[in-house]
Order: sequence, then structure tokens, then C-alpha cells
Amino acid sequence: MTRQRPFFVQFLVPAVLVAVIFAAAMFNVLKYSFLEFVPGSLNVGGFTLENFTRINRPIYYWVLLDTFILSFATAFFALLLSYPISFALVRAERNWVRSVLVVLAITPLFTGEIVRTYSWMLVLGSDGVVNTALKSLGVIDRSVPIMYTRVGVVIALVQFAMPVMIILLATAISQINRDCEKAAANLGATPNTVFWWVTIPLTLPGILSGFVVVFAWTMSAFSTPQLIGGGKVLMISNVVYLQGFSSFNLPFAAVLSLVALFAALGSLALMKLLTARLEQNMATS
Amino acid sequence: MKNFWIGIGAVALASLATQSIAQEKLVVSTWGGNWKDGTAIIAKEFTKRTGMEVEFITGGTLDRLAKAKVAKGNPESDVTYTTSHVGALYQSDGLFEKLDMSKIPNAADLYPAGDRGGYEMGVYSYVYSPAFRTDLMPAGFKIDSWKVLWDDAMKSNLGLPDFDPSHIVIAASVMEGKSPADWESTTDKLTALKPNIKAFYQSDATSQDLIRTGETPVQVLLSINGYHLIEQGLPIEIAIPKEGAVVGIGALGINTGTKKLDAAHEFINVALDPIVQQEICEFHKCSPMNRKAKISEELAKLPGIFTTDEQWKTQAIVLDDATYAKLLPQWKTWFTENMMQ
Repeated sequence: MTRQRPFFVQFLVPAVLVAVIFAAAMFNVLKYSFLEFVPGSLNVGGFTLENFTRINRPIYYWVLLDTFILSFATAFFALLLSYPISFALVRAERNWVRSVLVVLAITPLFTGEIVRTYSWMLVLGSDGVVNTALKSLGVIDRSVPIMYTRVGVVIALVQFAMPVMIILLATAISQINRDCEKAAANLGATPNTVFWWVTIPLTLPGILSGFVVVFAWTMSAFSTPQLIGGGKVLMISNVVYLQGFSSFNLPFAAVLSLVALFAALGSLALMKLLTARLEQNMATS
Repeated sequence: MKNFWIGIGAVALASLATQSIAQEKLVVSTWGGNWKDGTAIIAKEFTKRTGMEVEFITGGTLDRLAKAKVAKGNPESDVTYTTSHVGALYQSDGLFEKLDMSKIPNAADLYPAGDRGGYEMGVYSYVYSPAFRTDLMPAGFKIDSWKVLWDDAMKSNLGLPDFDPSHIVIAASVMEGKSPADWESTTDKLTALKPNIKAFYQSDATSQDLIRTGETPVQVLLSINGYHLIEQGLPIEIAIPKEGAVVGIGALGINTGTKKLDAAHEFINVALDPIVQQEICEFHKCSPMNRKAKISEELAKLPGIFTTDEQWKTQAIVLDDATYAKLLPQWKTWFTENMMQ
């Protein structure tokens, strides 16, 4: 009697194919990281470990730290701003209110990153909307620098990440059993208490997954820090680009790519561990 | 009857052959935007002379280089229009054919800077030089030397390209009386410039945005972009410092492995034709490489436009492409590690 292959195996083929191609590309990156850079040529030399020793410079530690901080800040503020919108999106009683919120919250997802970043350049510039408004209100008498600062980069990244965060949070909020909230209210809890002690804990899985997704996504941000940061705020992808495509130093760019990959994987593993503990604590309490 | 069908067949075959020749196109890799429009000036004349259509592949300088490396041996394009020192990288990687100068007779009339070593020909030149918004700087402000960029008054006003720090490195070396190859002895000077840099631009578009919005009222600016902005009514002055301006050269090379070698040579020859040169330079506001090209007086008097050997000698800082290509990665790496952020 012959054993039949499970039906779902055929559906794995595309995923395996993509994984093989990805693994081959990563192997190439790994190979390049051990090859010598030859100035003035696109060709690489023989085996060397120098690319790895080069990374041991303050600038690269600062870039990594900046990447972590900017990614963390983006995930945090995106969460803070997206939660009320997601909540209103799910709980609004009128259909038209929900429709308007969906359009406002999700539409930016369909405009390109570059277009959105250019729009932010117009908003955050010295003569942009923010500075002009503040000056005309008399809050400031000369433009406040927002462009080419970490604050400017985070503002643009948060706006970029919000649609994704809103979708994830809205899904989590819609899964809440409303009877739990009603039970708490019947027992005398104020709407505020219900929100902080019932709703928020019940949406914690969504909050954590949204935070992790946005954090990981921002770790590889390129065009926003490139354009809004104007070379004064560098994230790891920008440095990879500068080394690979401006200096033509592909071996060192390969090392930086590996560092970025392992930094992202490491921080995701750490977050997974922390979120598992947090969820466990919430469940037991 | 038999002869009739043979005749019909012959006519059909001839028609197909003619069609296939007519449909054969020369593929030229060039930049997008108005750079492509400039290349189209050459293409128009080329098609007029040869009957062969030209098709463009557009992209950034370095993106196209990366693509050419991947497609080595089976090039996407027959001719590549690039910056001359990037052309040296094409050459060192075997991506450019050695040029047959007998097929480029117009090359005989070029300024020395037009000869880029036998694998590419300079078509036009521009300068990277300090430029400023006259309405945003104090009255009477002038940049007569690169040294002005180091002044305290320049603090947080300056914009530089992030993709190529060569201009400021070369200028600092020349200012210090050193050769660009000895740039390492001028790193203190370069570091002293850091407080004056407000932002780095990544492309022609961001360069223009930065100066248009006044974010960086002073820039080390590509002259062609400067003149483009002046045409749009922006009050910009392009300065040629006493030490000279750093010259960049747009050059054409033939991709190794092309099957249209003769047509590719003819394309370069057309690009160096005095009349075509004049049209390109009037269009881009750049300097011709052919001495015989006659440009308008209005264009000739602009800063950074060189039409005499004397101007090339006294106002232009020209570095050979091989040295440039070899030093640029070192400059870039040093700049990323010490000047940015």
C-alpha cells in the first residue's frame, strides 16, 4: 500500500521556493562579508576578516543604538496614537463614522513611502506648515529645526506605521468579549476603570503584536530617515546603502547587513520573551 | 505562375528584412528627467544620420552601474552615459569596450579633459562649486574662496552631497596646498567644517529642494542644477572660488558585449559633433568638450562654463578618473564615519 502525500504539501512549494532564494541571497551576503574590498574596482579580493574588525568603531555602535531608539520610539508613539483610533473604529455605532475612520486611517497605506516622506518634508521644513503655524500664532519667533532631527524622523515614521498598527489593534479590539466589560460595569466599575483594567488587558496580545511588527518594520526603515534625516540621522539601512552604493564597499556593506539582521532577530527574540512573560503574568493575575 | 510566386516571396522576404533593420534599436543607458532630455538631443541627430532608433534605459548613476555588473557579458544597453569617474569603475570591471578612435573623428577636436583614457569620451563638463541664495544671505555676501565655507557665519547653513564628498575633500586639499591624494593630512580641516553642515542631499532633486526651501541657503552645488533653479526665478549665485571649481564630466562608453559596436561608436561621434555639443550645452548650461562648438555669449559668460584652455587651466580642478575612482570609496567611508550624524 502506498502512502499518499498530504494534500497541503503542494501549498508549501511557493514558500519553500521563496525560502531557498532568500537563503541563497543571504549566503551570498555572508560570502561577501569575508572578501576583501578593492578600492577603485567593483571586483572583490580574497578572504579577510578585516570587514568584521572595522565594525568595532563608535560610529557603528551609535548607528545601531539610534536604530533601536528610533524603532522603539516609533512603535511606542504609533501605539499611543493608533489605539484611540482603532477603538473608535470598532466601537463607533454609526456606519458612516466607521467608514470615515477607515478611509482616514487606512488610505495612507496606499500612497508610497516616498510620496508620504516628501509630504512630511513640506510639513516639517523651516517654512513648512508646522513652523509657519507656530510663528503666526506667536508661539515662536523663528523656525524650530524639525527636519534633519530625530524628532522629525520619528514623526514621519510614526505616521508611516500607524495604518498597520491600527489594523492590528482593531482586529484585537473586535475580538473582545463585550460581556466581560458589561460584567465589570455591573459590578460598579467606572467606564475609565473598565477601559484600563478590562479592555486594555484583553487587547494586550494585539498591542504586543502591533508593537513588535512596527518595531521590526522600522528597524529596516530607509527612505524616511534618508530624506527626513538628511544624513544627520542615520539608521543602519542608510549606512548599508552609503557603504555599498556610494563607497562601492560591498563587503563592508554585507557585514553591516548581517549586523542589522542579527540585531533585528535578537531584539525580536528578546521582545518575544518579554511579551510571553507579560502575557503569562496577565493571565495569572 | 511559378515565377509570380517566387517574386511575391522575394518581395515579402525583402520587406521583412527591411522591417527588422528598421526595428533594430540602439539602447542607451542614461539618467532620468532632464538628463534624458539632454541625451535625446544626441539620439535625435543619431537617428537622423543612421535611421536607427534609440531606446533609453534610465536610472541613477550607481544603480545603473550595479545593474551593468549583474548583466556583465550580456548588457542591457549598448551605450552608457555616466559620470567619468564612475566610468572608470565600468572600465576596471571590464564593462566598457576599448574605443576605436578611428570611428570617432570628432574626438580630435576635444579639450584634453574630453579624453578619458580610451574607454569613455567626455561629452560635457559641469562644476561642483559653492552657491548661495542671495536673498537669504547678508547683503554683499560673496564666496571668493572655498575658505568662506568654514566661516562661523556659515554655521548650520551648508548643504553637501551625501553620495560624493569628493568636491569638499578636493577643495580642502587644494586650499591647504596639498594634492587630493594627500587628503588624509587635511582631515582636521574637514572635521572643522562639521558645525556648518545642516544637511546632506541624496540626489539632484533633494539638492534643489533644500536650496529652494531655504533649508540650506549655501550648498556645494552642481552648476547645472543651479542654472536650472535660476531659470525658475530663484535668486542663486554660483561662485567660482579662486582655488577653482571641481569639475565633473558626463561621459559616454560602449558596453562590453554589445552587438551594435559600429552604431555605438557613431552615437559617441554624434555626441561630440560641434553642433550637437552646442545644443546639449545650451540645454543643460554646461561646457562643451569640443573646441569647435560655438555656444551663445550669454552661456559662455556664466561661471563654471569653460570655453578656453586658459579657463580650464585657471578655474577648473580636474582629477584623473582612476585616482578619483580609487580615492572616492576612502573619502566616502571617512566622511560617513566622521562627518555625518
